Amino acid sequence: MKYKHSKILFVIFVNLIVISGCSPIVENNQIEDIAPVTFWSIQKGEDENFRMSTLIPPLVKEKKRLLTVQVDLLKEGMQGFNLKYYRELKVGQLRMLLISEEIAKEGISPLIDTILTDPDITKRLYLAIVKGDFDEYINSQLVMQEDLDYYLYQMFKHYDTQGKLTVINLHQFMRTLHSPAHSPVVPVFEASNENFQYQGTGIFKNDKLIETTNNMEEQIYQLIDNDHFLKYFPIPDLSFVLGHVKSNVQLNMDKAYSELNLNVQLNGRLDEIAREHKLLTREELSRFESEIELYLEEQTTKFLKKLQENKVDPLQLRKYTLRPFSKPLNEKEWSNRWERMEVKVDYDVKIQPLTDIKN
Amino acid sequence: MFRKRKRKSTGVGDRMKNSTGKAQNTPITIEVLRERVDNMEDAEIIEHQTHNNSTIIMVYIRTLIDIARLNESVIQPLRSCRNKNLSECISASKITEILMVEEAEKQLMRGAILIFDTDENQCCSVNLKDSLGRGIETSETETILYGAKDSFTENLEQNITLIRRRLPITALKTEKFTVGSLTETNVVIMYIEGLTNPKFITIAREKIQNINYDQILDSSQLAAFMEDHKHSVFPQFQQTDRPDVCVYSLGVGKLTILVDNTPFALNAPINFFHLFQSPEDYINRWIVASFLRIIRYISFTLSLLMIPLYVALTTHHYQMIPLQILFVLVETRSQLPLSPFWESLIMLVTLEVIKEASLRMPTKSGQTLGVIGGIVVGQAAVEAGFASQILIVLVGISAIASFLVPNYLMSKANTLIQFIILILASFLGVIGIFMGIILLTVHLNALTSLKQPYFAPVAPFYGKDWLDLFIRGPLHWMKTRSESLHPLQKWRYSRRR
Repeated sequence: MKYKHSKILFVIFVNLIVISGCSPIVENNQIEDIAPVTFWSIQKGEDENFRMSTLIPPLVKEKKRLLTVQVDLLKEGMQGFNLKYYRELKVGQLRMLLISEEIAKEGISPLIDTILTDPDITKRLYLAIVKGDFDEYINSQLVMQEDLDYYLYQMFKHYDTQGKLTVINLHQFMRTLHSPAHSPVVPVFEASNENFQYQGTGIFKNDKLIETTNNMEEQIYQLIDNDHFLKYFPIPDLSFVLGHVKSNVQLNMDKAYSELNLNVQLNGRLDEIAREHKLLTREELSRFESEIELYLEEQTTKFLKKLQENKVDPLQLRKYTLRPFSKPLNEKEWSNRWERMEVKVDYDVKIQPLTDIKN
Repeated sequence: MFRKRKRKSTGVGDRMKNSTGKAQNTPITIEVLRERVDNMEDAEIIEHQTHNNSTIIMVYIRTLIDIARLNESVIQPLRSCRNKNLSECISASKITEILMVEEAEKQLMRGAILIFDTDENQCCSVNLKDSLGRGIETSETETILYGAKDSFTENLEQNITLIRRRLPITALKTEKFTVGSLTETNVVIMYIEGLTNPKFITIAREKIQNINYDQILDSSQLAAFMEDHKHSVFPQFQQTDRPDVCVYSLGVGKLTILVDNTPFALNAPINFFHLFQSPEDYINRWIVASFLRIIRYISFTLSLLMIPLYVALTTHHYQMIPLQILFVLVETRSQLPLSPFWESLIMLVTLEVIKEASLRMPTKSGQTLGVIGGIVVGQAAVEAGFASQILIVLVGISAIASFLVPNYLMSKANTLIQFIILILASFLGVIGIFMGIILLTVHLNALTSLKQPYFAPVAPFYGKDWLDLFIRGPLHWMKTRSESLHPLQKWRYSRRR
């Protein structure tokens, strides 16, 4: 009986090890022996290949340097990094993938697929498109900010929860990429010698970057789709700044999918205003609100028209065509209808004035 | 071939019995008694002439009796007594007539004085036991801030008194047994008749009667013989020196076992979760008590898993470590010669050595040792490059967390389990930890205390008992006694509301 129990226990133990995927060839992951990297920057190489860069080492006390390799394939780059550095570089803590604008315009599917199939790399990897030479920026900043990679990651993480900027991870990107008629978006940054600046939201058609939002478009996009909140909403054309703007968006589509009604209710407070405006009475304020409404309606219509022309749908408008017990529109059908759809935008702005006003 | 043979002789006591012929009943004579107390320096045999010219011989063990009471109750009355009847001369509450030498011997060794009337050829015993022992003091092992401060002593009678004062009912029964062929230790089972399940009493009775050992010096030894699973690290009896804990246990349908010459009583049947309960739980307000109980469970888990998790993450799963901590870890660990497993093992063993040493030292030296051990050794280990700062912090938290478990035996078990999970974690990482947890759960489910499941009321499930499990529910909600203890009286209220 005792032997029988021992046998059962032995079989359970062996099965647990086998099922859990423990192999006799142990991969050494002792943290003192490895160098976990936090980002990969992929830029166009000299010829048809890639230029991959990462920052090493992870140790705070050691002087950091940028490691760059010219490769045709990503994994080749990983091998190349290891040949250049005394610690084995591990990708288990890879948190950011920065892809150059040139590569993004040609399509990022092959890169994304390689990363997606690597079991070590997390799906929570932040994606960003970089205009300009990121390596140059890193090299210039290394002397001043040693933990630059970590601060960049913190920035992404902060805005991921806070909103205000577009932040997207690998999982979200893939989900939108493979949703029918849905255009993925990725944040676009501009790297120059001393600056790394947020430019706007890069809009993809399939896996290719086709458009980046400008300043006004970006703010409209944040309000009507991304977070429905902006801490500051400057409108330079009207010389004022709205603060703590919250939006309530209602989208309606007619049954024939020929008309789209976008109703946006904006609530905010007047944070700053140029001297030329006089908002001392209720009447003046409501006139000013109408002026803003008109301006925003015009800008939003322009932005949506641009999306229609490009046949992209980052706002996921197709989901409003889904009806119970009816077949959803396929990608081509939706694309054609979206292109020809009449868009009506209506803003309802409610502003809390700077000071008390007369009735 | 290897069949066990039943031993005829069970111990030294039995051999002694055979050699002295103690097993047979011998009529008492002074000669036989003299023979029995031969070579005992503290045995005294005194002859005394009474007023009636009859000779009285007193036999006693000087070290066991109260000499002052001997003079007061026996010698003085005998000197002045003119009565022929011996028992009427002595001013003692109980005088027992002795016929057999074995009984006389037993009485003699329990602090009685034997008085022979040579003329009448009669023998009687008077109990003059010296009540040697310490007074009732505050419990040192289970200290509480509020609540009763008294604790058990080594005196069995006194311990029974402490319980009886709290439970002044005739239903509180006591059954006395003698165990240990050499020590002849008195063991008392206490239970409330009509409340405690008779099954428990029968099992406990059988287990005590079956003990066949020479020395039972402590209640933990008795527990070792009574436990259903002798090789487990988990205690299957709750050991306590607090009478209020025993009274509460009796009140919910458990039984209490008191052992002479030990201040620790045993409560049974218990389950795993009873070991996390403190007497203060029932004194504090229910929300505070529940919070503290949850903290205790969290601490137990932390003390068990924190170091293994550190080893698993730093050895196998660097991906799971938050980035900022990872940088610090890589930084500190890159200068250490030992792997995370050996580093942790050495620090944990060192901690256990310090803990054990400070327990065995006098209080003041123990404090010094704690400071030296905790601060100096910890700091020195980091500076010498033996351990990382993060590990020292984790070991510190783990050690403090382990002290939150009210039961000392449980916290020792905790340490051993931690070592096992640590080994599994070093080989298999987080999977190893989960394997350890599974094995631990399986083991706990297999245990029993007085044949009652040890993991109840979780498995088997008793929903109502959950009110006093991970939380301590309001007392007015706890209308029934614990179902897992199968009490004969379910309701706590004398009248159903």
